Formats: sequence, structure tokens, C-alpha cells
Amino acid sequence: MPTYAYILVSLALFFVGTAGVLLRRNALIVLMSVELQLAAGTLALLAFSRALGDQKGHVFAFFVMALAAAEAAVGLAIVVSVFRTRRTANLDDVNALKG
Amino acid sequence: MNLATHTATLAETIVFAVLSAGVLLGGLLTITRRNPVSAVMALVLTFAALAGLFATLSAHFLAVLQVLVYAGAIMVLFVFVVMMVNHEETTPIARQGLITRAVGVLAAGTVFYRAAWLVARERAMPLLAASETPPVKDFGTVSAVGALLFSDFLFPFEAISLLLLVAIIGGVMLTRHFREDGSRGS
Repeated sequence: MPTYAYILVSLALFFVGTAGVLLRRNALIVLMSVELQLAAGTLALLAFSRALGDQKGHVFAFFVMALAAAEAAVGLAIVVSVFRTRRTANLDDVNALKG
Repeated sequence: MNLATHTATLAETIVFAVLSAGVLLGGLLTITRRNPVSAVMALVLTFAALAGLFATLSAHFLAVLQVLVYAGAIMVLFVFVVMMVNHEETTPIARQGLITRAVGVLAAGTVFYRAAWLVARERAMPLLAASETPPVKDFGTVSAVGALLFSDFLFPFEAISLLLLVAIIGGVMLTRHFREDGSRGS
């Protein structure tokens, strides 16, 4: 399939992820939506990598994956830690730093 | 640059359509499910279909990694946290501040619609029309990507291992239990 088809899927997936981050208030689902956005970026990297015949895109996709793993680990640790002290995973209830 | 094109066969088109439908359906299910466990399962569907898309892009190594790291490790982590922080939402999309959020989603939608429109309009340009695996030896295999990782990208590779170490230490420190008097718990 031509590269533009992959880029269109990548854009659609990134939009779904963005909508999830903006609309949902459950911290876990927001983290999952961020994972969707990162996966969409990986797909675009790999599509252009194939179009150009350059494997550096694969290396970058590898780094994005490692980054997503680190982000999920720290993000989930924060969710657990907040849930322990506040008994909630709703982002609207976590507003102690709000000005 | 090797920009190669060929007309997609029917089989290729069907595989691509099924896999991208799986990706988008899984994504939509993820952000609409009320129960976090269902959302995690939809996310597994998304990542499995995405691994298939990576394989059609000749990214064999990344496809395997996608299944191992995302659909395996990260999803297990999510399921564990869902078990600890289990509460089903009564309203998955809160009424409070809905207008502000809807405006945000509409703005984002406009941006992505315009970007998609641009990609679709410029689909004839060589970079976007390229549709074939380039004649590069061992494209996307473990040995080829590994050789790049350990030569040109050695420093970023070591830096990312440091980042993962920091993430592990951060995860342990953040979830460590402290007693009421401030002393360390078990």
C-alpha cells in the first residue's frame, strides 16, 4: 500500500488518542490514550522509513517504544500513589495545585 | 533515495483495510469504554493490529517488539494497576466543563482534518506515493536494525537504558509505602 494510506491511519489514530486525553477523566484511560498517540507516531515513522528506504526510522521507532514503556511505568506509579492518598483516579478531583 | 511504487494487489488492500479497521476500532473502543478492563482489552486489540501493520511495512523487528513490549509488558502493567485502582465510572465523559472540552476536541479535529486533507491532496508526490519495500539488504530485520543501534546510535541507546533505569527507580520510589509517622514501611 502507498505511504499516504498509512499516514492517514496514523493521523486518525492520533486524533482518537487526542480526543481520549481531552474527554476522559479517568487517569488510567488518559494514560492509555497517550499510548495511542505514541503508537500513531511510531506508525508514521515506520511508514516514512519504508518510503525512503532508510532504517534510521526503525531505530527512532524503537526509542519511542522504550520511551512509552518508561512513561507508562512512571505514570501508573503516580496514579497508584495519588489513589492511595486521595482514594480517587478522577483527574477533576486532583486539583490541589490549582491556582 | 529509492522511491519505489507498484500497484497494490487485492490481497494487500484487504489485509491493510482489515488491520487499519482493527487499529481504529480498538482505539475508539479504548476511549469510550466505561470499565477500565474493557479499555485495556481494546488497547490490546489496537496494538496487535498495529503490529500487523508494522509487518506489512517490512518492519519485522518492530512488529515483534510491539507485541512483546506493548501487548505484553505494558498491558500487564495496566491490568495490574486497574486491579488496584478499580472503580467503574458512572459518567465516562463528565458533564462538568463539557463545553470547554468539546471545543478542544473540535479544534483538534479541525487540525487533523486539515492535515489529512493535505496528505490526501498531495498523495501523488513521490514520498507519499512510494508503496514498495526498497531494495535495501535485510530491510527491517533484527540484524540490520541492531547493527545501526550499536554503531550510529550507540549513545542514544545507552541514554535510553539510563532513562529506563530512572523510570524503574521512580516507579519504586513513588509507590513506596510511608507510615503515618513518616517512617518507612515495609
